[in-house]
Amino acid sequence: MKLIFYYILGAFSLLLVSCKNNETLPYLGQTVVENGKEIHHKVGQFSHYNQDSVLMDNSSLSEYVYVADFFFTSCPSICPKVAKQMLRIYDTVQDEPMVKLVSFTIDPKRDDVKKLRLYADNLGIDHNKWYFLTGDKEATLELANTYFVAAFEDADAPGGFDHSGKILLVDKDGHVRSFSEGTDPENTPKIIEDIKKLVASYKAENK
Amino acid sequence: MTKGLNHFIKCFLGGLLTISVIFSCNDSPYMQGKRLYLANCANCHMEDGSGLSALIPSIQKSVYLGKPEIACILKNGLRDTIFKDSTFLVREMPAFKKFSATEITNIVNFVNHSWNTSFKETTITQIEEAINICQ
Ligand code: HEC
Repeated sequence: MKLIFYYILGAFSLLLVSCKNNETLPYLGQTVVENGKEIHHKVGQFSHYNQDSVLMDNSSLSEYVYVADFFFTSCPSICPKVAKQMLRIYDTVQDEPMVKLVSFTIDPKRDDVKKLRLYADNLGIDHNKWYFLTGDKEATLELANTYFVAAFEDADAPGGFDHSGKILLVDKDGHVRSFSEGTDPENTPKIIEDIKKLVASYKAENK
Repeated sequence: MTKGLNHFIKCFLGGLLTISVIFSCNDSPYMQGKRLYLANCANCHMEDGSGLSALIPSIQKSVYLGKPEIACILKNGLRDTIFKDSTFLVREMPAFKKFSATEITNIVNFVNHSWNTSFKETTITQIEEAINICQ
């Protein structure tokens, strides 16, 4: 009898802990305190063209929570796997207008606007939901660092670039709030949960 | 330790081992094929063979399933180019020249066993014959 009591108690405390986790997502990266205020890491500034030749920058996304990755269309190694997970995320957020997806190419020389449009068409996605962005190469490689993605040119790597397949969740203010390894499908449900939490927290604020 | 307990532990561990072997084998009888598939194909075609939209074909319903000619695709690769608006995308299946007939047979059997509903085992001889014709 006593055992059952402890079991129920245990189950309840687990429930409490998991509810507590629901509250807020952490801010990734360095947080500094200035004049008693916490300043969280933000992603870098960009100014890139999307697959429909529209120039976009950080302010174009300031009303949205977005999921970002870095890729290139001729990438033979990890990109298809990561794209597949982005597609999986895309499927779950189709009906949530607050969420966008953004894929930056790190190979702008080959991936111009037209190529990205063809890629997006063949991926079969909505151009107003998922942006494929191309811009200055050096700027993009530096930008990747601010998203905690290591990306650099490497003649020995497959396709000429070495980069990690991280998928990042960015909030409306440009803070990175969650990430997953796009090469591991088992990572994806967690980031999908985190997207929901972030969206829910904005909705709760507006009440 | 008492003899009984000792015996129990041995039986328990032995049983556990048997069960784990049975379960891991049940997964797919084509273990080398599975390993080769995961290492060489899953990057593009995904672990579940579903591919990536129109960019990489799914092999779950490929017309090549169950046909020895699939060996030619693995040996020689396959290449297609999509043109539009004066640009193009290359859909390329790399050639796996290094694979032996045995390795190809194992991959083909793994793939067929996973996704071909009318699965029949392919033999090395069939694969060797197919490779001879496609070269
Ligand atoms: C770099 C990515 C890549 C890798 C790695 C790869 N494939 Fe492919 N595969 C493709 C692409 C792209 C096509 C379509 C080619 C075309 O359109 O001509 C294809 C086509 C195929 C087809 C024909 C599908 C159909 O019905 O049209 C089969 C079967 C196949 N691949 C099996 C495999 C197997 C088995 C492996 C591992 C030994 C493998 N592929 C590795 C990209 C890849």
